[in-house]
Amino acid sequence: MKHSTPHSDPFLQDRYGRAVAARLSEAADTLPYDISERLRAAREQALDLHRSFKPAEQANVIAQGGAASLSLGGGDGGLWHRLAGLVPLLLLIAGLIAVNLLDDEFLAQDLAEIDAAILTDDLPPAAYTDPGFVQFLKSRLEQNQ
Amino acid sequence: MASERELSDFLKSVEKRAFKRSVYHVRNDEAALDIVQDSMMKLVEHYGHKPVEELPMLFQRILSNCTLDWFRRQKTRNALFSNLSDFETDELDGDFDLLEALDTSEGTTQTESAEKLTERAQVLHAIEQEIQELPPRQREAFLMRYWEDLDVAETAAAMGCSEGSVKTHCSRAVQALSKALKAKGIRL
Repeated sequence: MKHSTPHSDPFLQDRYGRAVAARLSEAADTLPYDISERLRAAREQALDLHRSFKPAEQANVIAQGGAASLSLGGGDGGLWHRLAGLVPLLLLIAGLIAVNLLDDEFLAQDLAEIDAAILTDDLPPAAYTDPGFVQFLKSRLEQNQ
Repeated sequence: MASERELSDFLKSVEKRAFKRSVYHVRNDEAALDIVQDSMMKLVEHYGHKPVEELPMLFQRILSNCTLDWFRRQKTRNALFSNLSDFETDELDGDFDLLEALDTSEGTTQTESAEKLTERAQVLHAIEQEIQELPPRQREAFLMRYWEDLDVAETAAAMGCSEGSVKTHCSRAVQALSKALKAKGIRL
């Protein structure tokens, strides 16, 4: 065995370090059977974990594909998802406005029909302001009852 | 991305050295096995997608961190269960003795004489003892640099220190080892 005494020379230090490491490798290569087996089991367990990641990644890709088709292929869907979330709210507001407009329309139609009925009747509208005529209508209503 | 085959080959190539390295640090076979297993799982879990060239340095760093975590857990545990510390210390010493016995029981090659085998085992045992006697940072730098064959920059990155510190640690480790082994009459 060659003798080397490392001093401050980096080359000699490296050589000595590697000589020590070579001896350590001998020890590592001849580990007891049970330790080697447990290391092998640990390695297998790690590889199982690696395998388990692969189907998960594939499922992730499939899920992302589905989401992309639902969001009309809009990339990661961030903006589209936000816009899609606003659609029901906009529809609700539009519906309320439409209901309100239709309600006003029906009310106007009803008033127009009453006005038309009064104006087209034989009795002039001014008759309803006459207290005597109002009294006549009341007494006639009581007689009918 | 490293294929399953590449990952398997890589782990196979480092597992034994990783185990011995952990034993030098923690002086306990069971703990060293746990540390190596944790390191393997973390490597696969967090860096399984990395190219195979990046795995050695990542693994060394994970192994160092797992070893540090083990020491932290031990510290906490010892602080919490100080009344059991005597029992735990005995257990650790027992495992350490077992490791020494395992080291000296190696060498089944029949081509070498019994005398040579014994001499080799004794030298190896002395080297391992001196490695364990090194300060932790020096031991870490020495083992990564010369045993794991990382260069100075990679060792510095794995240890989270400067390249200058790595050189200093390695230099001091070599000086200490050469002095101690020379005193035991061992020349490499």
